[in-house]
Amino acid sequence: MGDCESIFPTYDAEQHVIAAALHLVKALGASENLSDDMKKILTDFDTQLSTMTKLTGSKAGLICDVEDQLKCAQEKVMCWQSSQLTIWDSDPKEVSEYLQAVDEVRRLTESLGNLLSNKNGKQKELLDRAHSVLQMAMVRLEEELMHILARNKQFFGPRCMSFHSYEEGVVFDESIVSTEDDSVEDTSRGESSGTESEEYIMDSVHPGVVSDIKSIATVMFASNYDQEFCQAFTSFWRDALDEYLIICKMEKLSIEDVLKMEWSSLNHKIKKWCRAMKSVIQSYLASEKWLFNQVLGEFGSVSSICFFEASKASMLCLLNFGEAISIGPHPPERLFCLINMYEVLADLLQDIDALFLEEVGSFIRIEFHELLRRLGDSVRATFVGFGNQVALNTSTTPFPKGGIHPLTKYVMNYIRTLAGYGDTLNLLLEGQDREDGQNISSHIFGPMAHHFQSVTSILEANLDNKSNLYKNGSLKHIFMMNNIHYMVEKVKSSELRTYFGDEWIRKHIGKFQQHATSYERATWSSVLSLLRDDGRNPVKAILREKCKGFAFAFEEVYKSQTGWSIPDPQLREDLRILTSLKVIHAYRTFLGRCSTSISDKYIKYTADDLENYILDLFEGSPRSLHNTWR
Amino acid sequence: DFFLLFFSSSLKPLSLSLSLSSSSYIFVLPLSLSLLSLSKTSTMRATDNNQGSFLNRISIRRNQVVSMDGNHEQELEDLELFQKHVADRFSDLLPPADHSSVDVAAVDTLLSVSWFRKLLDVFLCCEAEFKAVLVMGRDPTQFSKPPLDKLLPELLDRSVKALDVCNAITHGVDLVRHWQKLARIVVSALEQRPIGEGQVRRAKKALNTLLTSLTFDDKENNHSKSTERAWSFGRNRGGAAGNNKDRTAGNFRSPSWSVAKSWSAAKQIQAMSSNLVAPRGGEPTGLASHVYILTTVLVFVMWALVAAIPCQERNGLSTHFPVPRQLGWAQAMIGLQEKIGEEWKKKEKKGTAGLLEETQRMEKLAQSLVEFADSFQFPAEAEKAEEVAAQVAELADICCKMEEGLVPLQQQIREVFHRIVRSRTEVLDLLDQSGKLSAPVPY
Repeated sequence: MGDCESIFPTYDAEQHVIAAALHLVKALGASENLSDDMKKILTDFDTQLSTMTKLTGSKAGLICDVEDQLKCAQEKVMCWQSSQLTIWDSDPKEVSEYLQAVDEVRRLTESLGNLLSNKNGKQKELLDRAHSVLQMAMVRLEEELMHILARNKQFFGPRCMSFHSYEEGVVFDESIVSTEDDSVEDTSRGESSGTESEEYIMDSVHPGVVSDIKSIATVMFASNYDQEFCQAFTSFWRDALDEYLIICKMEKLSIEDVLKMEWSSLNHKIKKWCRAMKSVIQSYLASEKWLFNQVLGEFGSVSSICFFEASKASMLCLLNFGEAISIGPHPPERLFCLINMYEVLADLLQDIDALFLEEVGSFIRIEFHELLRRLGDSVRATFVGFGNQVALNTSTTPFPKGGIHPLTKYVMNYIRTLAGYGDTLNLLLEGQDREDGQNISSHIFGPMAHHFQSVTSILEANLDNKSNLYKNGSLKHIFMMNNIHYMVEKVKSSELRTYFGDEWIRKHIGKFQQHATSYERATWSSVLSLLRDDGRNPVKAILREKCKGFAFAFEEVYKSQTGWSIPDPQLREDLRILTSLKVIHAYRTFLGRCSTSISDKYIKYTADDLENYILDLFEGSPRSLHNTWR
Repeated sequence: DFFLLFFSSSLKPLSLSLSLSSSSYIFVLPLSLSLLSLSKTSTMRATDNNQGSFLNRISIRRNQVVSMDGNHEQELEDLELFQKHVADRFSDLLPPADHSSVDVAAVDTLLSVSWFRKLLDVFLCCEAEFKAVLVMGRDPTQFSKPPLDKLLPELLDRSVKALDVCNAITHGVDLVRHWQKLARIVVSALEQRPIGEGQVRRAKKALNTLLTSLTFDDKENNHSKSTERAWSFGRNRGGAAGNNKDRTAGNFRSPSWSVAKSWSAAKQIQAMSSNLVAPRGGEPTGLASHVYILTTVLVFVMWALVAAIPCQERNGLSTHFPVPRQLGWAQAMIGLQEKIGEEWKKKEKKGTAGLLEETQRMEKLAQSLVEFADSFQFPAEAEKAEEVAAQVAELADICCKMEEGLVPLQQQIREVFHRIVRSRTEVLDLLDQSGKLSAPVPY
């Protein structure tokens, strides 16, 4: 460094500064009320200054040294500046040398800024140069950071890959409006809830580069370029999450779009939303939070602020879809989706509270809780509104054949599916309808049982109205019997049993049996009355008339009631047996009475014939007996 | 204005009590009492009519025993009061005509962050008052009769559109915060003494990103937006880094709007304001006017937000929407509309920045500072350095204002969002109760 003197002709001034500092340190050291730590620092400083005095004094030159160091570090920085290669892709030795060089420059800016007098033009120039080199290095580090992140970002595979087959859950697409169509399928809750709680903490980036990212963070923070680091780092992860939502097939939709959307596609989107919500919160953000804490944990609240900024926009988008659904109309078939959404959020509540634990994240936490509350309200309103929908379902024509009305099927399958959501619904309905004290069922089985029973009461009342449309009194009873029997069977054979209880089942078995009895009476009493022994001596002509009249009446019944339908084979069988017992018994008695008086040719049907004909009843396809009568 | 105070101080409990709907009538009562007692005319009338206490009077109204005339009078009173409050609240938002007489510092500059916070407060107050009148003691059958059978569903329809605007604005505020952070970097760099090459370059980098984002033209870049990822260089080029020029794009943030691609703020406002017609004088129900006033307030607020805060596709945003000039309560709003409309005309074609006062000042300073940075030579002239120092101080001041105001503003926008959602549910419940609607609600 032969030209040292020419660059720093005024190193005298330098000596003044050092001398003054030395003086200051000594003066401070003389003070009595200093802590031991402080004293030690001053002593160290003292030694250092003394060495410097010696150095400058001996013309070795601190400034030369500083310039030397700067030049050396600058060369290192500049040589990468012109290179097309990325530093972190090359030798680890290169990386550590580069970081060392940058740290050197940083320390030089500090010591130059602290120690050198501002009046000295050359020193200012040196400081400026150091800052300039530092700035270039910072830009470079930011680029390297982006490069490392982009290269090493892990793609969250498994959950996304299986999106097509994953968790089908409940499909209950039927609308109550379409109940005239007979196609309501039984649905039950899929085995979805058990398989989803697995922890999916994965790595946001390749684990090997976390320390690289951290080293960049450390040097940028130390150089006061923390804002640049946070901007770049946060922006990267904000965009990454945005991309992840695209991978999860979450479209950006306005609330208006959602409200106008067809139910089938909306249903589809809700399912995707449920999955995306879970995987974003449980795995994606959980691992991102971990990374942020690894990289930024030692810089205080910076980590949580950056994490919040990086996840906010996408979280809002996700929550917003939920809002749109909760705003929309709630026909009964949406209830299952709403409950699914509610349950997904309720399950994630703890995760959300942990992810956004800090004050800065309260924005998301509050939004999340608000959405959960709103979805709960929607579930409740939809469920309560279901009863009204059932009540409002009116028909103008009698249901053909007296079979099981689609409304009955719909309602029973609907509540049977709902039974799978017992815990959630009981929780949501808790505290509702408290004034309804006289209903003991709600105390025994919980609020949902109460609601179920009130829905079935509404259904019964509605069926009763529908049954009044029949002109034929017997068919009315068949209709009621069929439908109440269906309800009982549904309750008996499913989880609903626990909500309705044996008492309800007994009562309703009684009800449909009553209708069966009423049917017997309505159809057969008049027919059998034709055979009645009126106590007088049988007159041939009268017996013949009776016989003819009975056969005619039986044929009429046969003609109409073969067309009626009792879909349940057991019930059909029972009613036929009941009918047979009554009819055949009466007929045999009658035949016994008149066998002596009239010849067989007047007796059109034997008891066995009748028994066989009765087996044709309630099959749902009208037939008629050959009418050979004249 | 005591009434305003009452509302703003008790916004939370109020909305709670209102959300209990009419079945919990007793909770709404305290509000109704204060509503009535605040109106001198109604106090007098109550005694004139010898109907005893307010409580009595309200329950009579609720039971619909009161004669049509009485009902009508009450409606007119409510309306008069509502109009007065709307007029007063909007007058407070008008910049004072005479600058010398007012302490300028105490006034919130038109379109500043603090002005918008006030505006949103005004909206929340108007909305609460509207709902109180709507929910309380009305004969529910009138909701299913003209003109309300049409007006209320229309209001609900506009509310949904407003929700989407709120969402867009929430994201827009995030973008403004991003600008604030870039400006903060500029301040950190140029606050250093002496300013050297390194600081200037640091500032320039942030300024360029800031200005690119501020002047980003939605229309021109619409197509490349989604495909061009600022830092995709690593992946796209199979690991080999591109040239340095490409890499420096690192920090540029294209406005990622978080709404549907086809969504347009301008169209949304257009749809909200179209067919907005003031009820004719002779209309039988005062509620029609209530609905009209609230709708106008809603449209105005959303329009002003869209004009000021960046959001997707604002080209063609109308500079005004028709409010009849003869309406007394609307004078202040019309005044504001004209001022904002003029500003918008000046600014329309200039990128995403929007009319937010802080953003506009930030943009000017950024432009001036980038000029300084471009021509910078070490060491800076003393005069120039002083000028820059003043500008940096102003930029720092703007950053502070944004820092303090933007987060609460964003929270307030969410509050507006949730309020609209809740009210919508309540109005739908009302309509539900009133039974057969003549026209089905679209959603």
